[in-house]
Amino acid sequence: MNKTFNILLYISFSLFLLTSSNYSVALEYKSYGYIQPEFSYFLDGKGRHNQSKDKSSVFSQGTFIAYVQDDAAKITVNAIGRYDDQDNNRTYFDLQKFKYEYFLDDATLSIGNDIIFWGVNESFHVVDIINQSNIAENLAGTKKLGQPMIALSFYKEIGDINLYMMPYFRERIFPGNKGRPRYAAEIDKDSVTFESSEEEKRIDLAVRFSKVIDDFDIGISHFRGNARDPELSVDQSTLKLNPYYPILSQTSIDIQATKESWLYKLEALTGKIESENHVRAAGGFEYTIYGINNTSQDLGIVAEYLFDDRNSNPFNNETALAVRWTKNDINSTALLAGAYLDLRGDSNRFFCEYEKRLKDDVKLFLDASLNGHINSNDFTYAFKDDSNLTIKIAKYF
Amino acid sequence: MKQNIYIFLILILSTVLISAETADEKGLSIAMQSYENSRGYVDSQSDQLMILIDPNGNEVIREISGKTLENEDPNDGDKSIIFFNKPKDVEGTVMLSHTHVNDDDDQWLYLPALGRVKRISSSNKSGSFMGSEISFEDFSGLDYRKYDWKYLGEEEYDGETCFKLESYPKYKNSGYTKRIGLTDSLFRARKIDYYDRKGELLKTIYFEDYNLYLDKIWNADTFKVVNHQNNNSTIYKWINRELNVGLNKKDFEKSSLLKLAD
Repeated sequence: MNKTFNILLYISFSLFLLTSSNYSVALEYKSYGYIQPEFSYFLDGKGRHNQSKDKSSVFSQGTFIAYVQDDAAKITVNAIGRYDDQDNNRTYFDLQKFKYEYFLDDATLSIGNDIIFWGVNESFHVVDIINQSNIAENLAGTKKLGQPMIALSFYKEIGDINLYMMPYFRERIFPGNKGRPRYAAEIDKDSVTFESSEEEKRIDLAVRFSKVIDDFDIGISHFRGNARDPELSVDQSTLKLNPYYPILSQTSIDIQATKESWLYKLEALTGKIESENHVRAAGGFEYTIYGINNTSQDLGIVAEYLFDDRNSNPFNNETALAVRWTKNDINSTALLAGAYLDLRGDSNRFFCEYEKRLKDDVKLFLDASLNGHINSNDFTYAFKDDSNLTIKIAKYF
Repeated sequence: MKQNIYIFLILILSTVLISAETADEKGLSIAMQSYENSRGYVDSQSDQLMILIDPNGNEVIREISGKTLENEDPNDGDKSIIFFNKPKDVEGTVMLSHTHVNDDDDQWLYLPALGRVKRISSSNKSGSFMGSEISFEDFSGLDYRKYDWKYLGEEEYDGETCFKLESYPKYKNSGYTKRIGLTDSLFRARKIDYYDRKGELLKTIYFEDYNLYLDKIWNADTFKVVNHQNNNSTIYKWINRELNVGLNKKDFEKSSLLKLAD
């Protein structure tokens, strides 16, 4: 449904652009992208739900940019897709960006799919709300789905103001039955419900004000619309999980202070769902030692803490610690290693990500994701046996 | 006789003292002239090509394109935007810098994979730029306000008599302790030796391929950088450089990164 809607919208949109344009000059454009085969091996054999001990997939991304109407306007297409040999839900195609932008001197109008990131943190993206997450990609939710919108941005002396009108909601993509990691119970895609009677056609609204004041980058945002994060309840007849999307009102602030080699970060929000208020915040620092031992190598340290006043939220008292080593060599060799620690002691997860350019247009990624101790009553217990090693090789074109 | 010796000694001493004073002043005035000659470009845009060469002669290519905006405030630095094109894995990354004379710059990076603009620390001005032998600090190496200067005398270079200048960075996070350079009679830097934090010779930048822009500004369109410690070298070329092109000043603000980005 989502895909068909998007494709129809954009075909008509493209036709409109092509037919309404009086400028028949040769199109100046650029395009680039990559294709990335991936292989994961699970260290604990078969999964808790009898999933395979390995998985293979191919991810691809393509970008196309064209300036039109004497450079007063721009068309951007950024498409991603994946074929996964195990999980049908992880096989998908998404138009991350498919937008037409018209530039005025101190304003921009944008129509179409876009990815909008709010926030400053490395690990805990608390205030980021515009785009839906595709957690079949990764449970952290950092991979997003393109959000259809009409956006107006004003660049003023007092700061930047962005207005977003989002006419169509994208449901969260969850890992499928054969997905690994996956939730303990199956997500029932056919039993999705909404608080809003307009369901996915509800028009969601957001506004953001942002400004740079010396060493401070500050953003204040408000969102009202279908919550991106659904409530999951067990259907007693099917034993599947039914997603329910309530209406969320959320007001947030994000601040980064950049003081020489130190970055101090804070994201905080207050939200309201069905007359229940909640508070969620995360912050920390990033410190980088440049040129360790008189070499060109850098060593960065990231520490962030996440707090949520809802005990029902499985992530309400977490710490992320990480070390980032960048060699700054010709191959852009880098290593990120760290841990997510649940401060109640329920679960610990460790990760390590290595990357290196093998050739001008080929890059290697080696990832390790290792589970430490996990309590059987913790939400993440479903992923307990999913420690894995992953190799990815990206070929750019 | 004895009196003559005293007079002679006083003469020598005063010459030394006077010339010691004027060595700093003369160094500064040459550096100022050199810098002033490079001003008045208003704004510029160019494609930039880097060839990184290792000691075995293996070459790697980097490509970026850039825009700069001259700061009308004489006490502050210029603004620049860099679009990364090659290596292909960084294509789509954009960096905005608001440079400052003797402070850290303000820098923002647009990361296309996340659609995110991130303010980054610029305390690594002396670090390697894209794996090359050139650092961010080197791009503003002609700004006389960033150094203390000393005139060392004249030296022949490439058939021309050049001013020999020694300079010491004022910026506390500089990667260098000292530079010794040659500036020609048109006040164009021809080569500069850089000494690292330990005071050892690190690298030499040769400024080549000078072209006259706007009938008044000499720009070296090639920097040849030779690192004497790791024996790597970098050839940095400016291609299609245009000055005073009428760029929009508002494009050099953080909010424009999303507008200009892919």
